[in-house]
Amino acid sequence: MKPVVHVVDDDKSYRTATARLLSAYGLRVETYESGDQFLARLSTCEPGCVLLDLQMPGQSGLQIQRRLCERAPLLPVVFLTGEGDIKASVEAMKAGAKDFLEKNSTTAALMEAIDRAFIQYERQQVEHDRLQAQRALVAGLSPREAEVFRLVIRGHLNKQIAYALGISERTVKVHRHQVMEKLGIRSAAEAVSIAANIGLINQDAAAPAG
Amino acid sequence: MGLSERSGRLCRTACFLAVAAASVSTLQAQTSDTSVAIIDRVPRVLVLYPYDERIAATTAAGEALRSRLLEATKGKIDLFSEFLDLSRFPEGEHVARMARYLGEKYAVRRPDVVVAVGRESASFIAANQGTIAPGAKIVAADFGTTTAEKIDLPDDVIAAFTTFDILKTAEMARSLQPHARHLYIVGGSSDFDRSWLTAARADLKQFSKSYATTTYLEDLTIDEFVERASRVPPDSIILALTVFKDRTGRNFIPRDAIGQIAATASAPVYGPYQTYIDHGVVGGNTVTFEALGRTVGNLVIDAIAGKPVSDLEAPQTYIADARQLQRWGLAEKDLPPGTIQMHKERSLWEEHWPILVAGSGLVLAQASIISVLLFERRRRRDAESRSRLHLLEAVHLNQSATAGALSSSIAHELNQPLSAIRNNAEAASVLLRSANPDHELIQQILLDIQEDDQRAGDIISRMRGMLKKRSEIDWQEFDLNDVTSSAIHIIHGEAERRGITLTSTQQPGELPVRADKVHVQQVILNLATNAMDAMLDAAPPGRALTFATGLANEYAELQVSDTGDGIPEERLIRIFEPFYTTKQAGTGLGLSIARAILETYGGSICAGNRPEGGAVFRVALPLAHREEQSR
Repeated sequence: MKPVVHVVDDDKSYRTATARLLSAYGLRVETYESGDQFLARLSTCEPGCVLLDLQMPGQSGLQIQRRLCERAPLLPVVFLTGEGDIKASVEAMKAGAKDFLEKNSTTAALMEAIDRAFIQYERQQVEHDRLQAQRALVAGLSPREAEVFRLVIRGHLNKQIAYALGISERTVKVHRHQVMEKLGIRSAAEAVSIAANIGLINQDAAAPAG
Repeated sequence: MGLSERSGRLCRTACFLAVAAASVSTLQAQTSDTSVAIIDRVPRVLVLYPYDERIAATTAAGEALRSRLLEATKGKIDLFSEFLDLSRFPEGEHVARMARYLGEKYAVRRPDVVVAVGRESASFIAANQGTIAPGAKIVAADFGTTTAEKIDLPDDVIAAFTTFDILKTAEMARSLQPHARHLYIVGGSSDFDRSWLTAARADLKQFSKSYATTTYLEDLTIDEFVERASRVPPDSIILALTVFKDRTGRNFIPRDAIGQIAATASAPVYGPYQTYIDHGVVGGNTVTFEALGRTVGNLVIDAIAGKPVSDLEAPQTYIADARQLQRWGLAEKDLPPGTIQMHKERSLWEEHWPILVAGSGLVLAQASIISVLLFERRRRRDAESRSRLHLLEAVHLNQSATAGALSSSIAHELNQPLSAIRNNAEAASVLLRSANPDHELIQQILLDIQEDDQRAGDIISRMRGMLKKRSEIDWQEFDLNDVTSSAIHIIHGEAERRGITLTSTQQPGELPVRADKVHVQQVILNLATNAMDAMLDAAPPGRALTFATGLANEYAELQVSDTGDGIPEERLIRIFEPFYTTKQAGTGLGLSIARAILETYGGSICAGNRPEGGAVFRVALPLAHREEQSR
């Protein structure tokens, strides 16, 4: 699917001109006159990036970025501003802005920024997909297997797991084997890696151990 | 000539003689000695006038006599006047009746002194003294020594004489016309005229020797007199004696005859009578009526006081008619010393010098006060213009500061159209390179480029308007709504950057005011930037800056309100003072400059807090009155 460039700017003429320029270079472009309009019309499954005006009446660029993180975290944001504003830039970067571009930058710089954003989107998409797959695998474990998995990734020995779950060491070994099979892994280290990716470790550390 | 008018025949001299004759009857004069016995009462003086009361000459003399007497006695004197009217009623019966009447009238108040004005009066009293004023002193005299001798008066009558000296008149003429070479003497054909001519011939014998020609114009008709006089050479002196009759026997009042001659004479005419003045005569040596009156007065006073009195000649004076001097171009300085100038238009100075001195003193004082005031005013003006210049400087600094503060938002605002133009241009050029260019789109792109260029231009011109430096106030009439809108344009970028909502409500129709547009805009910008600064700490959603224009009592008003913390009450009065600031980076000049600007244009500014929170500034400017523009 062809990626879309979302141009969000309250200034109609700039918005239109930029859209024309990007279209002329063969990109798909959507324009929005405000952050609200953008968020309302956003379809999360399409690839692309956002050119977001930092200074707008109503919701400012930073506010929109925050909301966008919740809605479409994969969509890279390129901020556009009339003039470099250090405070705003830092905030934007902290919030995950990929790029920061002055409005009077050259077309080449703009195109580069967009390209970078697209590449990033793709990279993020791949990563995202991988995580989704791992999450699905973990989700496919039976309750007992999941319990065993959680204890395994915390480095517990089979004996300890058996004691903690009140089952025989033998049974633990069977479950452990099942987990390795289902997740397609061979070692406990790999299990820890998956758990870290999907964010299970912190979660578990916070929870009181069995 | 007042007297001779009616009595030319009787009184041959043209002048009259006041005779004060203390003519006590011979017997009584002897018994009562020379002094009048005046006991326990004021002295009584009876003045007899020969004619009626309307003869100007006798009236003038009588008036002089009267004031002399009143003055000398300090008013303690009884003055009686009688008009004998002898020329119109010369009949003996009338004279006898008059004598009898006066005798009875004055029986209870016998005069101590009788003053007889004119020869007729003198003769009358001499004949009737016993009836009218027994025991009184009488002075009688006549006109000119020549004629006085002919009047038969008692010896004890004392006389004040007047003599008319043609030689002195001639000398006056010579003094006025030192280069004259011809002498003419005019005289009539009556006996008196002839006797005058004879006397003159004798008097002028020596005098006439210094002239090339001396001509006596006599035995001529009036027309001949006039005609001859009009043909005399310009370097001539004409001396006029009297013309009671011309050769044909026609009677004249001399002054009228002389008047006719002088009117067309080709040289100045002189004459020895006061009455000739006003009839074209330059002047002469004479006895004035006033001088005569005073002389008589002195005699009477002496007589009352019992002093020995004797005949006295009234003093002669030179008189001249200023108008005639001017007519003939004669110099005033050539007049004999002491000459009385008649009809001289006394200069204002002579007439009113004390008033003039006081007046001009006042004017001077006033002028100096005025000049001091003018000077002060000028100094004030200078000071005002200096302070105005300082104000203009301060406003400019203020403008620059505002521009600096707004520069980033203005740059941002300017970047929008510029970036749009560039993107549009680039897009167009890409489109043109394509195989099948969309001409319609390119057309639209070009239109948009023009529009954005216009927008950028507007921003720059607003910026320039904001920075415009004034060396003097550029007065113009404009709509307060317009200026408010343009100020909002300037700050809207900054407001946006700070997350401040701008709202503006405007009075429908125009709010015409007269001032310098840039200055008023600066006031609004100051208030707006202050308001925006005041909202730094406020929560972004609640940041609102509101402009509202309105109309109140012939004033155009603008309210600028914010949703900041407001102004603490104790600071409200001080915020317009220069260098008063609560901001870390503030100069403290914004509000004081705003106030100075508004006061320059007759407006005002005040600050307050809104009940719902935040501060509000109210600006008022007087409405400019143009022709009713109710839209």
